[in-house]
Amino acid sequence: MIYIIDHQDSFTWNVVHQFAEFEKVYCSDYFNLNLKLLKKSDVIVFSPGPGSPKDYPETSKIYKLFKGKKKIIGICLGFQLILFNEGGIIKQQNNIYHGYQSKVKVNNKSKIFQKNKIFKIGRYHSLKLREPFKSNNIDITMRCTKSNTPMAFEDNLNKVYGFQFHPDSFLTENGKFFIKKILSYK
Amino acid sequence: MIIYKFRNKYKIFTDFSKKIILNNSNIKNFLGSFSNKKYKKEQDLFIGFFGYEILCNLLNIRLKNQKKTNFYKGIFYKPETVITISDKVKISSNIKQNKFNNKFNPTKILSPFKINTDFNKYKRIFNLFSKKIKQGETYQIKICTKYKNNSVINPVNFFWKLMKVNSSPESFMIRDKNYSIVSCSPETLIEKKGLKLKTKPIAGTLKKNPKLNKSKALSFFKNNNKETKEHNMIVDMERNDLSRICKPGTVRITRKKYVEEYKHLFHYVTTIEGNLRKKIKLINIIKSMMPGGSVIGCPKIRTLELLNSQEKEDRNIFTGSFGFIKFNEDLRFNIIIRSILNFQNKSEISAASGVVLESSPRKEFNENFIKAKSLLELFK
Repeated sequence: MIYIIDHQDSFTWNVVHQFAEFEKVYCSDYFNLNLKLLKKSDVIVFSPGPGSPKDYPETSKIYKLFKGKKKIIGICLGFQLILFNEGGIIKQQNNIYHGYQSKVKVNNKSKIFQKNKIFKIGRYHSLKLREPFKSNNIDITMRCTKSNTPMAFEDNLNKVYGFQFHPDSFLTENGKFFIKKILSYK
Repeated sequence: MIIYKFRNKYKIFTDFSKKIILNNSNIKNFLGSFSNKKYKKEQDLFIGFFGYEILCNLLNIRLKNQKKTNFYKGIFYKPETVITISDKVKISSNIKQNKFNNKFNPTKILSPFKINTDFNKYKRIFNLFSKKIKQGETYQIKICTKYKNNSVINPVNFFWKLMKVNSSPESFMIRDKNYSIVSCSPETLIEKKGLKLKTKPIAGTLKKNPKLNKSKALSFFKNNNKETKEHNMIVDMERNDLSRICKPGTVRITRKKYVEEYKHLFHYVTTIEGNLRKKIKLINIIKSMMPGGSVIGCPKIRTLELLNSQEKEDRNIFTGSFGFIKFNEDLRFNIIIRSILNFQNKSEISAASGVVLESSPRKEFNENFIKAKSLLELFK
């Protein structure tokens, strides 16, 4: 089962439907968590949402509790939330991307996606990861081809993954592919 | 009497045998009452509206800071007669001898229109919301301004006058004893037939001029960054709202980014459809889809909270929904925009436009006026 934590976003149910193509999904609000089901689930997903990671201490707690024990996937705010918990600083961008289609390129750090591959993806974010960002286990694996903004990471040791863009958006070509790859990677 | 224009027909609903005034405690019962009704005739339905406040309340959002006019939160009527006017006239009625109430109030204008938010106030809210967008608190947000005067109107007369200049596909009129509504809404929020659901969000409006045609309007929308991203956002948001109540894998865009042409303007539209999950109740459909995303902003909950902290007056019917629910639970609702509400000898016209970073407060403030203009002109 996949447990999706909703940060009251208006895109969460697109995420739910995308994951539901692969496994049974349970979704609840971040302030109304079902710990029993969280423990039972195989994968935990942090949804997109408004604001910044510091607004969601409940989800940060869950991250710390289950990191290394379950596969964890963060999307947009969820991506930032994981990096924030790993000591990253999340800051405002100069250019704001809401409803944009951009291109991202896979670098040689990715173990899941093919190096140099370019994807068209949809973006909804005001904030981004400040760099340099140092981590023992987390590698930035995709970047915006124009702005070089970090757009995906992999921590293959702890099985923690994140996308700054929205695989769930209609602006992302073949968004299902990203989810399938991450879910099936052992 | 109610007139509703949809699918290029005018339908007149009258001889009301029931009138249900909605509040927070009876709305669930009202929506729950359809499951044990049977649909046999055209008049087997309730028609009416949900105001903005009751829709917010359904999402557990309270409007604390708003000045209220004590207008109804929502009203639904059970008609005993439905008259359909298309290429022919069809009457379906349970009444043997119709007694139409022919007394119409003549229109009286008692004071000129005043706007409730002047440019300086508007600019202050606009700049605050721009900051919130930069902080990621909201991705898009719509500020509502209101024009008000003292007047009595003849809504039937206003409605036909309006249909001459702007016969939008979701136009309607309600005339009751103590209030009336006249609207040329262009937007279908939700259409449900059996388990099939459809929504047609509009994001993008372009005023017509002699040099423009439909294909030029389309390339304008496609090449305009602001219009494109606003539209994209609403499409993903409406996909989300449908997904909340539909079977996984069934929500799909069936017509992407096309232009609809009206007398004075072009609209940029997308059609999204899905199949309802079996156990979903009417109230869940209402809560998922309303208030309609395209007139609020995104994401819905946080954006509604921001709006309600800044707008000082109740939106009343504006950005609520008008439509009908048949006794077989099929339904159709629009988004109430481009409307006049006349209540207690006052008329109000509201308009909303979006804060996005590429825009300027002056431009959006003026856009609100352009949107209200054809309604303001009815008073001349």
